[in-house]
Amino acid sequence: MKVRKIVFRILALAILIGIAAVMFVIGRGHTIYFDNKTLEAEDGTVYKPYYKIDVLVNGEKVAKLGEEDRGMVSTMGQKFSMELHITPKKDSKKVGSAVKLEIPYNMDGIILNLPALLNGAAEDVYMDEFIPAVVEETGDEEEVPAGDEFEMPMGDA
Amino acid sequence: MKKKKFDFRAALRRSSVPLMFIIICAICIPLSGLSANMLANEIVTRMGRNAFLILSLLIPIMAGMGLNFGMTLGAMAGQIGLILASDWQIVGVPGMVLAMILSIPISVLLGLFCGKILNMAKGREMITSYIMSFFINGVYQLVVLYMMGSVIPIKHTSIKLPRGYGIRNTVSLLNMRQKLDNLIPFSVKLPFFGEIRIPLMTFIIIALMCLVIVWFRRTKLGQDMRAVGQDMEVARDAGINVERTRIVAIVISTVLAGFGMIIYLQNMGNIATYSSHSQIGMFCIAALLVGGASVDKASIGNVFLGVILFHLMFIVAPRAGAAITGDSMIGEYFRVFVSYAVITVALVMYETNKRRAKSAEGKKLAEAQKGEG
Amino acid sequence: MNEKTVKKEKSWFGRLVENFGLPRLIITLFLVLLLILAPIVGADLPTQITNIIARFSWNGVLVLAMVPMVHSGCGLNFGLPLGIISGLLGATLSIEFGFTGALSFVMAILIATPFALVFGSGYGWLLNKIKGGEMMIATYVGFSSVSLMCMMWLILPYKSPNMVWGMAGKGLRTTISLEGYYDKVLANFLKIKIGNFEIPTGTILFFALLALAMWAFLHTKTGTAMTAVGSNPTFARAAGINVDRIRLLSVVMSTWLAAVGILVYEQGFGFVQLYMAPFYMALPAVSAILIGGASVNKASIVNVVVGTILFQGIVTMTPTVMNNMIHMDMSEIIRIIASNGMILYALTRKTEGSK
Repeated sequence: MKVRKIVFRILALAILIGIAAVMFVIGRGHTIYFDNKTLEAEDGTVYKPYYKIDVLVNGEKVAKLGEEDRGMVSTMGQKFSMELHITPKKDSKKVGSAVKLEIPYNMDGIILNLPALLNGAAEDVYMDEFIPAVVEETGDEEEVPAGDEFEMPMGDA
Repeated sequence: MKKKKFDFRAALRRSSVPLMFIIICAICIPLSGLSANMLANEIVTRMGRNAFLILSLLIPIMAGMGLNFGMTLGAMAGQIGLILASDWQIVGVPGMVLAMILSIPISVLLGLFCGKILNMAKGREMITSYIMSFFINGVYQLVVLYMMGSVIPIKHTSIKLPRGYGIRNTVSLLNMRQKLDNLIPFSVKLPFFGEIRIPLMTFIIIALMCLVIVWFRRTKLGQDMRAVGQDMEVARDAGINVERTRIVAIVISTVLAGFGMIIYLQNMGNIATYSSHSQIGMFCIAALLVGGASVDKASIGNVFLGVILFHLMFIVAPRAGAAITGDSMIGEYFRVFVSYAVITVALVMYETNKRRAKSAEGKKLAEAQKGEG
Repeated sequence: MNEKTVKKEKSWFGRLVENFGLPRLIITLFLVLLLILAPIVGADLPTQITNIIARFSWNGVLVLAMVPMVHSGCGLNFGLPLGIISGLLGATLSIEFGFTGALSFVMAILIATPFALVFGSGYGWLLNKIKGGEMMIATYVGFSSVSLMCMMWLILPYKSPNMVWGMAGKGLRTTISLEGYYDKVLANFLKIKIGNFEIPTGTILFFALLALAMWAFLHTKTGTAMTAVGSNPTFARAAGINVDRIRLLSVVMSTWLAAVGILVYEQGFGFVQLYMAPFYMALPAVSAILIGGASVNKASIVNVVVGTILFQGIVTMTPTVMNNMIHMDMSEIIRIIASNGMILYALTRKTEGSK
């Protein structure tokens, strides 16, 4: 009886930890930035922007990029797929293209250079980590109120 | 068993709080000038947001421990879970699930502590759990304001205070916001109310929770709890471990409150790190009481009626107050006053009923003795 | 019986802990530590002690207000805000009627008195109906009355330009300056000043007067009856004491003392704080008297004095010492944990006589 109880508890604990682990994998959120910008790779290749790119994720249009534009979308998980509708020149026809990517786990924000990506550049060329600009803040600006008392419960419940 | 005569006055007394609220709402709704569609939508949203939290109060009531003001403890555990999940950038529903799992050990620990203390303060559980919520709030602030970022690693500057440790006043849950509510998009069109959006997944979870509570009442543990709630001494004589049963009741309540808080905050879309939890206990308890519950008796029906009536008042009061007096602050103060007054009235009614029952019992005893003598 | 044998074996330290209570001991040691550390980390000790004395003088009467209700067995008066509201009504009405200077203080007390009597009677009547559940209900009576008054401060037809919002011309401000009214009237009476060191003699005398009156009252016939009601209601009833009447009296006294207490606090602080401010007031007073050695059903004047000094000592000393030492102001958190921990400790003690 006792042994069964302990086994049962360990099992429950293991299941919880298992679920947590799965959540870590499938729930990792990323912000993906799409650049339709000129990019000069280290080997000297220059990727020119397209006239217009529409980015669709899950059938929803998330960005409409002109030349030198940037768009963004939040995603969940490491597998990312999008559909691009590209208009290369002003009067040319739209060309569709589906892209599937693996996103590195440890990057919060990822910049994808679409011209480089579409022209078959290597991953380290078209992909870059987005590092948010550090905003200088003065330390005392955000004073945190501490109190054991009831604050006026005026907020929304 | 003799058939009880329907006691009209007793029934009226029991349902006086909900009746009062129906009257308040009936007066305030037309004055507020809000449309039926908007009111219905608001109520449905708030139902999804709050019902789970209020359900967490039921089990300690069953165990005779009164209104668990210590549900705040669970709320804090839930918030810590959410802060960590959002720092690790686990988003959407998986982030919520992770936050819930993270909150469990914290809730259990706090619940054990709270239960132990409440066992030492039998007969004044409510005031003790109330002070407990303040006490643990101090510990929570110590953890969140000083240890997060210095002892517990926090990576993102959007969460951390500029000084390098401590969590900001508000933590955005933008990438978790209403992800559960909108998991299954659903809305209904009603003739009078128009289109109402329904957070279906949240409702399904709440319904499941109700089923669990109904089932729990029938288990051995649930029966024990009811026995303890009826009479501790009798339960002890029947071989029930009273202390343990009471602790378990508080632990369950705390864990559920943690889950409830996570559901609540995913709907709100941000955490007010230092105030979200402190207000939640009061609102939930007031809502439950408005639904017709008392300190020693509460049902699932009370939860839902309470959410509807209390939040209806909450939505319309400021606007109605502004319409009457021309000052919106009066309505704001009014709803706060009503929340406190309802709790006061319910507590007073509970205590007077207890005394009445006691004196009736005494009379019976005296009569029995007379009969014998 | 078993317990007794254990008691005998305990060392002097064990006995000390038992008599004094562990949390109380920790708090006292903590304050002593702060006092030792203060000069080392470069805080000016005379200023610190002046602060402690000043804060003691502001809060003393509020803490004293706890005594009668504890004595009569009504428990800790978490409903202190009700009395505070009477005091606030007295303060605002006194200003509204145009009294100034020291007279405004006297008038504030006089005007507050009838309010305190009426509110206190109602409150006492309620508490007599719910014996056994006093503390929780007291808490919520306090909250309800504060939030009711929040509306009233806006609605009541106050006119004095020193109190109402300038723009709207109606509705009281959240804080009202007492300059020209009774700001420091007691504190400046016979004030002693040596360098950085100050003693607000008047305020302390005023507190001493009330404390003495309370002490004397507790030794009158009614006073001993009150103690009897608190320690053993059944016995008291058998002895022919009208329990409900005595309890009512204790609640009225407590409410009135709270009203006077807030006025004393205001004269020291220099401002009247309205709206949600009274919310903040019950818990510090409750924990102060508990730190001083009171329990849920036992309290003395000594408890009040010691408790207020210890509590206010910690409240004033921790921020400066902490800031000077580690550049981290954790004083708020220490205060929250210490004061609520103290209340929790008191609530979990088994108390003889009550229930």
